[in-house]
Amino acid sequence: MASLVGAFATSHGPLLVREWQAVPDEQKQRLSAAFRELGKRVSGAKPDVIIAVAPDHWSNFFLDHLPSVCIGVGEANEGPPEPWMKDFPHRSIAGHPGLAMHLVKSALDEGFEPSVSHRLKLDHGICIPLWRMGLEPMPRVVPMIVNSIEPPFPSVARCLAWGRQIAKAISSYAEPLRVAVLASGGLSHSIGERTMGAIDESFDRECIARFSSDEKSLLRFLEEKLPQAGNGTEEVRNWVVAHGAAGGRGFELIDYLPVPAVIVGCGFASWRP
Amino acid sequence: MRDYWLSKLFFDLQSPAAAAEYRSDQGKVLARYPLQENVKRALSANDVPFLAERTNAYLLRYYFFAIGWKDEEFIRRLRGG
Repeated sequence: MASLVGAFATSHGPLLVREWQAVPDEQKQRLSAAFRELGKRVSGAKPDVIIAVAPDHWSNFFLDHLPSVCIGVGEANEGPPEPWMKDFPHRSIAGHPGLAMHLVKSALDEGFEPSVSHRLKLDHGICIPLWRMGLEPMPRVVPMIVNSIEPPFPSVARCLAWGRQIAKAISSYAEPLRVAVLASGGLSHSIGERTMGAIDESFDRECIARFSSDEKSLLRFLEEKLPQAGNGTEEVRNWVVAHGAAGGRGFELIDYLPVPAVIVGCGFASWRP
Repeated sequence: MRDYWLSKLFFDLQSPAAAAEYRSDQGKVLARYPLQENVKRALSANDVPFLAERTNAYLLRYYFFAIGWKDEEFIRRLRGG
């Protein structure tokens, strides 16, 4: 049977690539060290497949069709479409159709209704972490897109339930695969709105603390505070999926630092197996 | 509120080729979209707050990035500067 070998979370942001030279040296070193440590933990778990939980930044979906949750079931995923991601070393990343379709079918059996895509572009939200963590060779990637870009969004409680569902589905997949969950997004940031550039450090630190408290406390906090902490902060939903997959316990912060040069409160974490 | 065609324009301009064409001949590209006249005027005037009310915030940022603005200028205009 397959097994969940780890859950991990990281921030992302275009300016981590486009404006990297503008990041002060000390913060560059901390960000690089955090990505390295995260990569070390992911590699140490020896995953055959990574379920990458991230938003779609208008790379695959438009107003015509906006799924709340979409699982990529294709043999291959396309590399990032953003021109400034041209140095990312993969134009194609293998998927795992068997596991992906099992996730979908298991979810449907349990009252979830994911959308399905047989060909997804993996934008910077997934590829910056994969790149900066230095994962080579690249494991297969099953993308799980959770909408946090264009309202309405899935509830935080639903994201937690999705995490639990993913873990349950992994444990019932017949092939002996090692599977990791990697959440990408958050912490606080604000994009294209009047508060753009703001980082809500107090929100971020409280959010981090709540991942180590009980689930009710985490959900109560996020349901109340997420809508006030900047639109990009909505991506914390992906961390909640990872938290649910990990059984809501074992959260361990690797590092947190607000980085004004990339306009993101950058957090890195894993959950102890 | 979402203006579909304005949003579609911004979405399409994520393509570098489309963005280059838009920068060289804005009128030619705009003619392909059934935009309202006040929206066309707002695009010509770079009226950021007006456009912000009609599209997704990420698409808005992509648009001003595509036409060559720095974030600092975009943020200043977003705040009505």
